[in-house]
Amino acid sequence: MARSLTQTGTGPLVRPSRGIGLGRLRGLGGYLYVIPALAYIALTMLYPVYENLRMSVHDVNVRTFLAGDWPFVGLDNYRTLVDDPVFRKALSVSLIFTGGSLLVQFTLGFALALFFVRPFPGNGLLRALLLLAWMLPTVVSGSLFRWSLDGDYGIVNAGLEAVGLLDSGRFWLIDPDTALLGTIIANIWVGIPFNMVLLLAGLQNIPATLYEAASVDGANAWQRFRSLTLPLMRPVALSVLLLGLIYTFKVFDLIYVMTGGGPVDATSVLPIYTYQLSFEFFRFGQGAAAATLLLIGLVGFAIAYLWLSRREEIA
Amino acid sequence: MAAVAPSRYTRPAPPPARARWRRDGWGSTAIGTVLVLLYLFPVFWMVSTSLKSQADIFADPPKIFPSPVDFGAYREAVIDNPAVLRAIRSSLIVSLGTMALTVVLAAPAAYALARLRLRGGSLVVLLLLITQLLPSIVIAGPLFVVFSDLGLVNSYPALILADATITLPFAVIILRPFFLSVPRELEAAAQVDGSSGFGAFWGIVLPLVRPGLITVAVFAFLFTWGEFVFALSLNVNEDIQPITVALNKFIGQYGTQWNNLMAVATTVALPIIAVFAGLQRFVVGGLTSGATKE
Repeated sequence: MARSLTQTGTGPLVRPSRGIGLGRLRGLGGYLYVIPALAYIALTMLYPVYENLRMSVHDVNVRTFLAGDWPFVGLDNYRTLVDDPVFRKALSVSLIFTGGSLLVQFTLGFALALFFVRPFPGNGLLRALLLLAWMLPTVVSGSLFRWSLDGDYGIVNAGLEAVGLLDSGRFWLIDPDTALLGTIIANIWVGIPFNMVLLLAGLQNIPATLYEAASVDGANAWQRFRSLTLPLMRPVALSVLLLGLIYTFKVFDLIYVMTGGGPVDATSVLPIYTYQLSFEFFRFGQGAAAATLLLIGLVGFAIAYLWLSRREEIA
Repeated sequence: MAAVAPSRYTRPAPPPARARWRRDGWGSTAIGTVLVLLYLFPVFWMVSTSLKSQADIFADPPKIFPSPVDFGAYREAVIDNPAVLRAIRSSLIVSLGTMALTVVLAAPAAYALARLRLRGGSLVVLLLLITQLLPSIVIAGPLFVVFSDLGLVNSYPALILADATITLPFAVIILRPFFLSVPRELEAAAQVDGSSGFGAFWGIVLPLVRPGLITVAVFAFLFTWGEFVFALSLNVNEDIQPITVALNKFIGQYGTQWNNLMAVATTVALPIIAVFAGLQRFVVGGLTSGATKE
């Protein structure tokens, strides 16, 4: 049975010794190992992306969906979106959410990485504890931040009142002026360990001898950081920022749990808006168009990432 | 390196290395511990709230530690709550199913991509990286349409099939370096001994990459346990609703009963904490090796 997986050819049973045994698998047989995974990806990921594109140029709503007959409408769904002020707002909310989260979580992650790159007792355990927060289900993080930012009894208000920064309860997630800030704070908290781990790996790849040489030459800590760490970390930092951009731009569940996109769309980022179109208003065609635009944005970031990493490799 | 200051030869000799290490080391441990405790305060606050009585959550100023410790919230919101127990069962079924599907599909694929020098192999790796870009929300809509046609909406298989779209590419990417590190000679020897290609893969290589398989299985389980988007959009049947969706529903339902909500939240977080504590070296090691090798 197992034999048939690899012995598809009619060649002699005893092979030439070059590439002992493994050479056998180099033929068509080897593909049998990859095909199940590839077929799965094609059916559950590539086909949905195609289906999404198809839906975005058809009028798919509850009525046409049930009838199974979707009229072709060209780019009408996209036009409706671009003319929709809610879509434009979602775009700007997405940019603020992504930019704000990324800036702070990258900076704090970098600071922590610089701290943890030095060996000290308990280093590994403390780092693992940080990662634990990152592994928490987003629904859990979302609900615990919802409780912490509660207007009546939340710990954040209690803390701010205790140090005199706030006079009366602030309803962070109910007030349209602060709701986005509240979700950004929660997302920064979730994202710090991710940034720290990747940046730490980068720092560990810088040869210690470079620092030793700089020290011997009399460079102080700040000079070593400015002229060694920063330039050498540039490629890693760019990768982490672009990966962070991709991951933050598609955040959905954290915001959905904390505010559901409200109040009055104050926290409605593109993924939330997309979800609402498809699964709350059942305007599947327009939802698919919004999803396509979201995807185009992400692919753009990804191409930028590949281009940058290739350029860094050549340089 | 123009910015490096000119050397000074008059610097005092540094203190003996060991003394310096000791001083710096333990100082850093103290600072690091404070930082981590501050960072994890929200998690502590979640557990602390879950162990308070309804009256104590409204105390002003807030009680940092629950006193007396009250398990009432766990009794009311978890143990005596059939909806939560059912949701935990659903999450277990979906998580174990996704875990199995992921390992079965990912292990041979990662092996082939590491070893068999397939034509287009690097293209496949690129494809796997690209699929990680896809937001769940983009494929949730089309998957809903496809699953409706197949009569799969509101079923465990729908959730398992959808969740594996996230875990599978990640699993292959994480597993590949593990296969690369197995010495080729071992397989070659097995094949000389008459074992087939698949036999060598099954009997020799797989046992050697067990740490990788455990990492991937644990990751698949934990990810699926916490998954929310597919659970929310591909199912409306309360009987198979996963615990994440149940938790989200309680947010509205419990109003100001934050101790109850935090008891459910802590219950959802518990497997993550337990698995993390028990298998920390697999998870952390696996994640960082995957992160640096790709």
